[in-house]
Amino acid sequence: MGGVTPDEPYDAIVVGSGMTGGWAAKELCEKGLKTLVLERGRHVEHGKDYVTEWLQPWQLPHRGRGEQALYERDYPIQSKNYAFGETTRHFFVNDREHPYVTPDDQPFRWIRGYQLGGRSLIWGRLCWRWSDLDFEANQRDGHGIDWPIRYKDLAPWYAHVERFVGVSGERLGLPYLPDGEFLPPWELNCAELVVKRGIERAFRGRHMTITRVANLTQAHEGRGPCRARNQCARGCSYGGYFSSLSATLPAAQRTGRLTVVTDAIVHSVIYDERTDRATGVRVIDRNTKQTREYTGRLIFLCASTLGTAQILLNSKTARFPTGLANSSGEVGHNLMDHISKAGASGTVPGLEDKYVYGRRPTGSYVPRFRNLGGKGDGKLGFLRGYGIQAGAGREGWSRGASEPGLGAELKQRLREPGPWEMTMQGYGECLPRHENYVDLDPQRTDAWGIPLLRVHCAWSDNERAIREDVKTQSAEMLEAAGCKNVETYDHDGPPGFSVHEMGTARMGRDPKTSVLNAHNQTHDVPNLFVTDGACMASSSCVNPSLTYMALTARAVDYAVGEHTRGNL
Amino acid sequence: MTSRTPIDRREALRRATLVLGGVLSAPLAAGVLAGCEARGVPDGTWRPRALTPDQVELVATIADQILPATDTPGARAVGVHRFIDALLAESYPAAERERFVAGLADLGRALQASTPDQQRAVLERLDREAAPFFRSLKDLTLVGYYTSEIGATRELHHAPVPGRYDGCVPLAQVGRTWAV
Repeated sequence: MGGVTPDEPYDAIVVGSGMTGGWAAKELCEKGLKTLVLERGRHVEHGKDYVTEWLQPWQLPHRGRGEQALYERDYPIQSKNYAFGETTRHFFVNDREHPYVTPDDQPFRWIRGYQLGGRSLIWGRLCWRWSDLDFEANQRDGHGIDWPIRYKDLAPWYAHVERFVGVSGERLGLPYLPDGEFLPPWELNCAELVVKRGIERAFRGRHMTITRVANLTQAHEGRGPCRARNQCARGCSYGGYFSSLSATLPAAQRTGRLTVVTDAIVHSVIYDERTDRATGVRVIDRNTKQTREYTGRLIFLCASTLGTAQILLNSKTARFPTGLANSSGEVGHNLMDHISKAGASGTVPGLEDKYVYGRRPTGSYVPRFRNLGGKGDGKLGFLRGYGIQAGAGREGWSRGASEPGLGAELKQRLREPGPWEMTMQGYGECLPRHENYVDLDPQRTDAWGIPLLRVHCAWSDNERAIREDVKTQSAEMLEAAGCKNVETYDHDGPPGFSVHEMGTARMGRDPKTSVLNAHNQTHDVPNLFVTDGACMASSSCVNPSLTYMALTARAVDYAVGEHTRGNL
Repeated sequence: MTSRTPIDRREALRRATLVLGGVLSAPLAAGVLAGCEARGVPDGTWRPRALTPDQVELVATIADQILPATDTPGARAVGVHRFIDALLAESYPAAERERFVAGLADLGRALQASTPDQQRAVLERLDREAAPFFRSLKDLTLVGYYTSEIGATRELHHAPVPGRYDGCVPLAQVGRTWAV
């Protein structure tokens, strides 16, 4: 067979095993295609390899304080992520071993998890549908290019993925934040209910709800329920939250058509000028650094927004001298992330005799209320909008470190919880801008000989104006709800910090200005699809994973149809 | 006399029997337990790695002033000083470790040659003034104590697998601050 395995050519090759790679694998396999999933990182087995899952605080060598010297040396970027720590470090990349380049005055925080399951192991799990307020945004204000799809195109696919994922949430009937197929919601706690009533009384049209989240409030598809430990990023043997490892890859495996190869770093996509098709991928073994190739009839790039851009840019051919499927010149461009880490906090008075039981793995949410199409939109001084992630809880023992008090009195005081504190954090939309882009370093390469990615990304005045409004409005809402000690905060984070990076191979109608068509198919190479965050033409303000999943399932449906009809 | 008398040996044996024979106080027993738990080594083999024995003793003494034994064991008994030594040795970058040791030396001098009451007054003043080194030592003491098994499960309330979330229950139903 000349080195070709009996399975080759695969019906489909999926690059990446994270959120979208898992979905592509499941859908392709269930539609009958022999599918190869390539993962650049190590193998992780659901359950067995969640090595910190059962450790109690006293069993952690550094009691959760971690190893600062190590983090400064090897994890200077990853350690800034909220989910990084002593119990989760093994699900984040070593920054020293996986460098990328940014200009000195333009940092970009690229948070990565190179392992089977990718970042689906450590994601935030919030699941929101987009609406036409989002899909029409570019067309309305002229930033970026118009999306080639609308909500009605994606709605059935949102339902399709929600039914499998298991999304808990509350139906609100808001046209700009469409309801989905929900499991019962998590509860707001007593302090959040006070703030909710205050906000909804003081501000017409504003709402507070529990987040819509991929933590199972009841058993679902043989998984869960969530046991309210709130330690998801360690991995969850119960399958209490959705990940590729808990859900999509096992579903793909059950078809008998899935092959998974880990430690396989995709160097480039192989393109055949004669047939004008992608014929496979070139892979470098992570351990041996040997190069090999896999052949396949359909190629799905699900390697993450920046990973996919890097692969396309590194797949240069005579016809595509600047990178595969890049006749538009847009591959790598229009990079976006969400603004976050700004908002306000305050004390909710009273409720001293109330507490919570269990550790809810999520928080509350104030859906977007700016620029919804009403009067006064133009006066705000910014385009688009933001949603606010929030949460209340009683202060715990750690408050003792910043309060005076010593001895038996201190110990006695900390036996009881402190006041209820409510925090709000805005997540704001980022405009698509051509000048935010990635390209390949012409000289430097990584340990596998692949050119380093260079990231050029900065916020614009619009994102800065959203940030200011987030702070002002968060404080006003908390005050209206009767909170005390209300203070705004702004931990200005560079792009990438929200881990919602997207947009390096955007969808569009015109092959001259976009990389992908309405079905995530590259305009240039008919059997090459991109369904991760790279495909996004705008960013909305809601957490993006659910949209990536829905787009992936929809793209597979289209691709398999075209494949069956002989059009690919 | 160059060697111990038989009486000395008998006396030593008697003392050993007292210790091993079940007259350990509850906090002391907890301390032995927590010491083993904290570093996963038999108690007698533990050696500080970042601090000198005198410095460890100073840390343990101050930690016990911050969180003393009450109806539950205090900071020394659960081995907070061992946690702090481990953090200094394994986690702190060199410059921060040196700053900590220097801060500890300053504090040691401030406490030297004073009565327990005077020492207490010094610590209370530093706490009120939020003196940076004292606050960081207090922070580490709290972390070491409330993440210990005794701190989490006896002083506070801990549920490794709650199984459900209820957003509004009477405080009396939980009774104490959640450890996590």
